[in-house]
Amino acid sequence: MRELTGEEPEILLADQRYGFIGGLVKETVKRRTGVEQRLSLTDKIDRIVTNRYLGLPIFLFSMWAVFQFTFKLGDPMVGWIETFFKWLGEVVGKGLSAIGAPEIINSLIVDGIIGGVGAVLVFIPLIFLLFLAISFLEDSGYMARAAYIMDRFMHALGLHGKSFMPMLIGFGCNVPAILATRTLENKRDRLITILINPLMSCTARLPVYVLFAGAFFGARQGLVVFSIYLLGIVLAIIMGKVFQTFLFKGEAAPFVMELPPYRMPTLRGTLIHMWERGSAFLRKAGTIIFSVVILIWLLSVLPWGVEPGSKESLIGHLGAIFAPVFAPAGFGTWEAAAALIFGLLAKEVVVSTLGVIYGVGEEAESLIPIIQQHWTPLSAYAFMAMCLIYIPCAATIGAIKRETNSWKWTAFAIGYSLILGWLVAVIIYQGGRLLGLG
Amino acid sequence: MEAAPNLQPGGIVIALAGNPNSGKTSIFNNLTGARQHVGNWPGVTVEKKEGRLIYDGISHQVVDLPGTYSMGAFSEDEIIARNYILKEKPDVIINVVDASNIERNLYLTVQLLEMGANVVVALNMMDEAESRHISIDVARLSEILGIPVIPTVATRKQGMKELITGALNAARNPGQQPLKITYQREVEEEVAALETVIASHAGLMRDYPLRWLAVKLLEEDERFLEEVRRYPGTADLLARREKVSAGCGN
Repeated sequence: MRELTGEEPEILLADQRYGFIGGLVKETVKRRTGVEQRLSLTDKIDRIVTNRYLGLPIFLFSMWAVFQFTFKLGDPMVGWIETFFKWLGEVVGKGLSAIGAPEIINSLIVDGIIGGVGAVLVFIPLIFLLFLAISFLEDSGYMARAAYIMDRFMHALGLHGKSFMPMLIGFGCNVPAILATRTLENKRDRLITILINPLMSCTARLPVYVLFAGAFFGARQGLVVFSIYLLGIVLAIIMGKVFQTFLFKGEAAPFVMELPPYRMPTLRGTLIHMWERGSAFLRKAGTIIFSVVILIWLLSVLPWGVEPGSKESLIGHLGAIFAPVFAPAGFGTWEAAAALIFGLLAKEVVVSTLGVIYGVGEEAESLIPIIQQHWTPLSAYAFMAMCLIYIPCAATIGAIKRETNSWKWTAFAIGYSLILGWLVAVIIYQGGRLLGLG
Repeated sequence: MEAAPNLQPGGIVIALAGNPNSGKTSIFNNLTGARQHVGNWPGVTVEKKEGRLIYDGISHQVVDLPGTYSMGAFSEDEIIARNYILKEKPDVIINVVDASNIERNLYLTVQLLEMGANVVVALNMMDEAESRHISIDVARLSEILGIPVIPTVATRKQGMKELITGALNAARNPGQQPLKITYQREVEEEVAALETVIASHAGLMRDYPLRWLAVKLLEEDERFLEEVRRYPGTADLLARREKVSAGCGN
């Protein structure tokens, strides 16, 4: 057949289908081409928003607007929810004492469940608002243009333009960022984007940086924190390249960037999309976090009778076991190890764990002198790098499991980030010592 | 874990197929409202949306297939959509067609019809087509394709009732002939030859439409050949295919 027709059969068959369609369309469709071939509204808008020079500023502005919208509107709501959980904890705690519930039950419910789950639920307004804004941009057709504009930059990283959005959202929170990879059709692009996403430093890690940079780097703390963010981006680029080279060889599929016409999003559609994504976070991340909270609380109070969160508790023993592993990175104390373990729940918990262990409140100020005794500027920097890279938080792990639908990839994400984090921390500490910075 | 679709008596399974950006999602939202469930297709990272359509007091299952341009094996999405249609055999497929891009969208329609699927076309975005001065002879289109074609504007919920009744009617009275595109003589000869060989394989005959399978084999769709290889005793068929596609001359 190939010889008879000089064509691949596949192309031949497709041609004939198109031939049939061509005839069908000629038969049933009439196009009234107006006198002046006017640009449709879509073309007119595209001329501006995908313009070589205007495209990027317009895109950056819309992203700025999305984050402004989310955080300006969401921050007060986060405050209300925080206040609510604080109030709930107090009321429930008093109530439980009043009815004579054992101290241990009180601690489980108030410190464990209400404190731990509440710490995650406070992010809900931000997540819903962010998804509301993104769903709006997506339904309107603008998101496809944003991807188009960023396509060239992302190509340099070997990724698709659509990977850009999830990476950007990752600076806010990796959980919605990983859910947002759903816009990527290609499995390879999607997996790589999911795997490197936790390297985008989310807001939960900021308290850790603020504490340590404030304790050791004084006036240069802004620069130090910025350098940690940059470290995350650089590592994401490197790991993206590595994964493409070694894990996904030859799986790249050609892709046509579809630029759909602009549409006014319907309120209903936008709300449904927001709910779809937001409620997924609620359900899945919520259940996982709930179990992890109880586990960590148990570890901190067992064996019965010890001071919760002390060296004699299971978490203290656990910290002591892992401490030697971190010695080459300069923070081989059981406190640091325990903080990192607790930090798996949520990265900001690293700070509150240190607070509990060193016996101070959550205010960073009072922690600073103690931190200065146990860390050096160099080991502090290595510890910050570790907090950036090592194992994604529980909610992110949940999101990775949900989105990859595979325990294998979830385990891989955990394993590679732990190894990478340790390596980077050790390189920073040992390299720094060689340079005489220790 | 997905709940097994426990359909009421009279309830049917409706699958939604269409190109990306054809308004498939809007139609899905209109049909199911908040009664949606998002999961993943088994074993893959592609999201699977299912929902319930309640009409005249009867609950029907609506499955949103991944948006695709064709039914080949170009992407995971296409394989999922194709396998769902072949294996799960939904009672009716609503094929959402973007009226303002009708030519490109109809490629999928043609492929669905070649699969022998029970198809109802939702000719969507009629407003957009109108504003671009495109007018479509809906009755004629329906006549040539041999299936119901229902004009809709999903964003304004126009034509939804007609679409639902059209789909339900089609599901209850199947029996339309698959669209037969007559290919050029050489192709037709090979298709006929392959059909004879396929007819001797009970397993293949049970699982695939005959002519569609013959055409697919000619297309050298690798992923699909692999599937066929899994059936016992198909070596003769595949050998025959090799010969055919390489050209009878050698």
